[in-house]
Amino acid sequence: MTEPPRFAGKVAVVTGGSRGIGRAIALALASEGADVAISYRKEVRAAREVVTGIEHVGRRALAIPSNAADPAETEEFVQKARRQLGRIDILVANAAVGGPDGWESVSTAAWRELVDTNLVGCYSLVHAARPHLAAAGASVIFISSIGGLLAAPDIVAYAATKAGVISLARSLALALAPATRVNAVAPGWVRTDMTAELHESTGPREGIRRTIPRGRWGEPDDVAAAVVFLASDMARFVTGETLIVDGGGSLRWRAGVEE
Amino acid sequence: MFDLSGRDVLVTGSSRGIGRAIALELARAGSDVAIHHRSNPAAAEKARAEVVALGHEARVVAGDVADPAAVASFVRSAGEWKGRLDGVVTSAGIYRGDASESVGPAEFDAVLRTDLEGTFRTIQASLPYLRKSVRPAVVTVSSVLGAHAATGAVAYQAAKAGVEQLTRALALELAPRIRVNSVAPGFVRTDMNRGGHEEPAFHAFVAKSTPLGRWGEPDDVAPVVRYLLSLEADWVTGAVLGVDGGIALR
Repeated sequence: MTEPPRFAGKVAVVTGGSRGIGRAIALALASEGADVAISYRKEVRAAREVVTGIEHVGRRALAIPSNAADPAETEEFVQKARRQLGRIDILVANAAVGGPDGWESVSTAAWRELVDTNLVGCYSLVHAARPHLAAAGASVIFISSIGGLLAAPDIVAYAATKAGVISLARSLALALAPATRVNAVAPGWVRTDMTAELHESTGPREGIRRTIPRGRWGEPDDVAAAVVFLASDMARFVTGETLIVDGGGSLRWRAGVEE
Repeated sequence: MFDLSGRDVLVTGSSRGIGRAIALELARAGSDVAIHHRSNPAAAEKARAEVVALGHEARVVAGDVADPAAVASFVRSAGEWKGRLDGVVTSAGIYRGDASESVGPAEFDAVLRTDLEGTFRTIQASLPYLRKSVRPAVVTVSSVLGAHAATGAVAYQAAKAGVEQLTRALALELAPRIRVNSVAPGFVRTDMNRGGHEEPAFHAFVAKSTPLGRWGEPDDVAPVVRYLLSLEADWVTGAVLGVDGGIALR
């Protein structure tokens, strides 16, 4: 069965698109026909590789160094994307920072970096792109986390920002309706650089794997497919939702479960 | 992406409404489909012919999902057709909208047995056939009223809340192999809602209350089911996804 590409003639903007989940999202959107602009903070080489990957499937690509925590840089990123690619149909706010570990010593600076990047960054992206969004059928997707839904005493600040992202998706879904849909994806444990310390050592990797009913860690492509679905016409009546993509990991409360 | 070529899927309640739209969408995505109905053979036959016209195989099975013996029989008929089921979609359901004071035992019982137990019995009876699939997946059909309260239809609301928790519990119990997810449609223009969407004032009220500005159509729900059944949703289980135009947001 062959279908026409879902995003032919459309333009997607993805923050944090050089690595991990953002990279998979950028490539998946391109493989479905979208031209894609990605932002990245430090990984020039990785960003260039993503551009090559997008161009390899015949789409136009753009990589701009831009810190999601800085609204002015985000504004500039969005302007460049629109100028060079002509329009904006799909926005994916993916850029995020993780950590710090432990609840007792989260510095004010760490709080600010997390809130500014993970939460305010979602808002700034939408705010900057709003005047340029396609008049009909535009779609915004925020990458949250199951950390935003469950208790996460080891990463309290990260979890709080990700809970905020879910709230922001709901509020903006209402604010931007009916022209633009806004949804969130809440991934569980996905193998990325952010989780490398855990999935690269056997004990933590297996310990986490055993808490996932599907029996495996997530891959960036699992999340990217959810984003493609939500961005596409298949989800035309879905807005304000949070799609949990976690292998079932958030279903089980741990009380009495053998580790 | 989201290709369902070669899948064999049973869709309950697929002679009409959302179930029918799901059956046709799955066929467009490449599936063969077992069309199920309770008491509308003509509509089921029409749906079957539509699937065949899309180039896929279809068979009609019949029975009341409120009757466990009938469920066992029609699921067997669907399962033995190809010897397995790659997907089961439980779309059969009834709605009663009475105020609580006038809900008698028969009405409460009929709604719970059809909407909640019917969902469970269908999945339970399908297990031997799902276990023969390489990538089995189940999608239940809840409602925006499964997690958001409205006046009247108390049995329906309780049943749909039950369907959502049933979905999560089965996702855990049937893991790691069988995925179970749910869609929760808002107000959709079907025969079940005919009293609502054909009444001008209520039609306007729902359209106005829905952030996306309109009633849902069966074809809005069907592609969401397609995604949840697809290989691309391999790491999605126990999820309940609203397909309601945002009506639950306010």
